[in-house]
Amino acid sequence: MPEEVTRRSFFGKAIAAIAGSIALILSVPILGYTILPALRKREEPWSEVGPVTQLEMNQPKELEVVRSVSSGWMKAASVRSIWAFRKPEGEVVVYSPICTHLGCGYHWDDQKKKFLCPCHNSSFDLNGQVLGGPAPRPLDALPAKVEGDRLYVVYKEFKSGISRKEEI
Amino acid sequence: MMKRISAWISKRLNLPPVLHHLLDEKIPGGASWIYIFGSVTLFLFLLQALTGMFLAIYYAPTPDHAYESVRFIQEEIPFGSFIRGLHHWGASAMMVMIGLHILQVFLYGAFKAPREMMWMVGGFLLILTLSFGFTGYLLPWDQKAYWATQVGINLVGTVPWIGGALTRILRGGGDLGALTLSRFFAVHTLFLPWLVVMMIALHLFILRRVGAAGPWDKKKAEAVSEPFYPRQVFMDAVAMGVMFIVLVVLAANVPAHLADRADPTDTTFRPVPEWYYLFYYQFLKYFEGRFEIVATFVIPLLFFGIFFAIPFLGRRWERIPVKRPMAMILGGLFLVFVFTMLGLAVKETASIVVADPAIARGKAIYAKLACAGCHRIQGEGAQVGPDLSYEGDKRDKTWLEAHFKDPQSLSPGSFMPSVRLSEAELESLTRYMLSLKKEAR
Ligand code: FES
Repeated sequence: MPEEVTRRSFFGKAIAAIAGSIALILSVPILGYTILPALRKREEPWSEVGPVTQLEMNQPKELEVVRSVSSGWMKAASVRSIWAFRKPEGEVVVYSPICTHLGCGYHWDDQKKKFLCPCHNSSFDLNGQVLGGPAPRPLDALPAKVEGDRLYVVYKEFKSGISRKEEI
Repeated sequence: MMKRISAWISKRLNLPPVLHHLLDEKIPGGASWIYIFGSVTLFLFLLQALTGMFLAIYYAPTPDHAYESVRFIQEEIPFGSFIRGLHHWGASAMMVMIGLHILQVFLYGAFKAPREMMWMVGGFLLILTLSFGFTGYLLPWDQKAYWATQVGINLVGTVPWIGGALTRILRGGGDLGALTLSRFFAVHTLFLPWLVVMMIALHLFILRRVGAAGPWDKKKAEAVSEPFYPRQVFMDAVAMGVMFIVLVVLAANVPAHLADRADPTDTTFRPVPEWYYLFYYQFLKYFEGRFEIVATFVIPLLFFGIFFAIPFLGRRWERIPVKRPMAMILGGLFLVFVFTMLGLAVKETASIVVADPAIARGKAIYAKLACAGCHRIQGEGAQVGPDLSYEGDKRDKTWLEAHFKDPQSLSPGSFMPSVRLSEAELESLTRYMLSLKKEAR
C-alpha cells in the first residue's frame, strides 16, 4: 500500500507541475501585453510650425502648431497656438499659450511690451518673468529648434496655479 | 497553512464526493495515450478563449480601425505578436486535434450505441469550430481576409432559392463592409463561444452518463478497469504540455501573417483560404457553371448528412475494425481524397507568385513621374540615366529611399531631380525598385 501512495502522489505532483508551468509561462506575456502599454509614457513628437523667418526680433507672435496626437492606433491632428519670437542673439523663444495662473490665454501688448493676461491681470516680461498679478511662476517655455529655415517645437501642457513647472 | 485552508474549504463545500465523481470515473481497459485528443482539443479551446479575450483588449471591429488595431497589436504592443501568434496557431492545432479525435473515435467504433448522441453533438462542435475559423478569418481586415471571405460568402450564394437572401444575411446587407465585420466579430467572440461551451458540456455530460468506450476488444476492456485519475489525467496533462510548448515555439518564431489593408477596389488579389479549407477549395475548382452547386451545396449537405447518420449505418454492434471493412475502406478513401486535394492545392498555391500590391502601386508611380524618360527597365525607356532592370540586386531600401529624397547626397553631380512623394508612395516606389531582380523573372 505505501508504494501505491507514492505513485499516486507522483502523478498528482506531475500534473500540478505541468498545469502550473503552463499558467506561469502564459502569465508573463499576458501581463506584459495588458499592463506595459498602459504604463508607457506618451512621447510628444517635434511638430513643424513654419518658416522661422516670420519671427521678428523681440516681437512675440502667436503661431499655430498642428500636432499629430496618437491614441493607440489612431492618429488625429490637433491645432494649438504658441507665442514665439527671436532674441537678438538669434535664439528662438517659444512659450506655451496658457497663463500659469489659472490657464487663460494671454496676449502680447506691443505698446506696453508686456504679456498681459486679461483674466486676473497677470503680466510677464519678454523673458516670461512675472511682472505683476497673481501668476505663481514665469511663462512656460517649450522646447524649440530650428532646422534649415523651419521652426519645430514640442507642444506640452503644464499644470497651472502652482509655482513648480509640472507637465500634465 | 495551505493544507489547512484547503481542508477548511473542502469541508464547507463537502468536496470529496464531487472529486470522487470527477476523478474516479472508470476507464475500461485502462488509461491510454490514444485518448488524449479530446482533452487536448478542450485545452486548445480554453487557450483560444483566453488569447481571444486578450486580443479583444486592443482590437477594433470597424473597417476604418480593424487593420490598424491588428497591426498595432502585432508591431507595437509588447508580446502582441506572440499572443496573436498563439491564437492563430492554436486555431490550426485545434483543427488537427479534432481531426485526430474524430479519426480515433471512428476507428474504435466508439460512436456506436449507446454513444450516438455524443457523436452527433461532436458533429455540431466540428461545424461550430469551422464557423470560428470562417468568422475569425475576416477580423484582421487585410487583403487575404477580405477576399477570402468574399469568396466564402459567394459560395453560400449558390445555394438554390435562398442563396441570395443568405448572402445578404451573412454580409448584413448588399456588400461586404462595416456591417459584415461587426457581425462576424459578434458571432466569433460572443455567439459561438457560448454555443461551443454548451455543446462541450453536453458532449461531456453524455460521456459521463454512458461512460468511456474503451478498447474495441471486449476481453481487453473487461480485463482492466482504471480510474480516470491519476494516470489518464497525467497523460492528458503531458499531451497538453507538449501541445503548449509546440504553440509557444511556433508563436514566438513564426508570426501570424498580416497582408496589406483590405482594398475593395483591388480585384487582382488571389485569395487563398486557411489550410483546413484548402482541400475543399481545390475540390471546387473541378465544378464549373451549372455543376458548381454540386460542390458548393449538394456534396457538403451529403457529407454532413452522412456524418450525422454514421452511428446508424452498418452493423451496429461491431466495433473491431477488421470486422467493419466497409467502414474502414470508405473512411480510408475519404482520407485519401482529402489529402490528395490538399496536396494538389498546396502545389498550385505554391506556384502562384505572390504579387505585392505595393509593387503595382510603385510601378504606377514610376509611370506617373515619367521615370522612363531617363531610365530603362528590361529594354523599355530612354538610356539617359542608369538602367534599372536589376536595381533590386544592386541597392538596398535605405539607399533607394535616401536617393529618391536627395539624389545628389549619394551620387554627387547627378542631375536626377529629387522625388517629392509621401512616405507611403516612396515606400511603394522603393518596393518596386527592389522587386527588379535577376531571378525574379
Ligand atoms: S489666468 Fe492669467 S491671470 Fe489668472
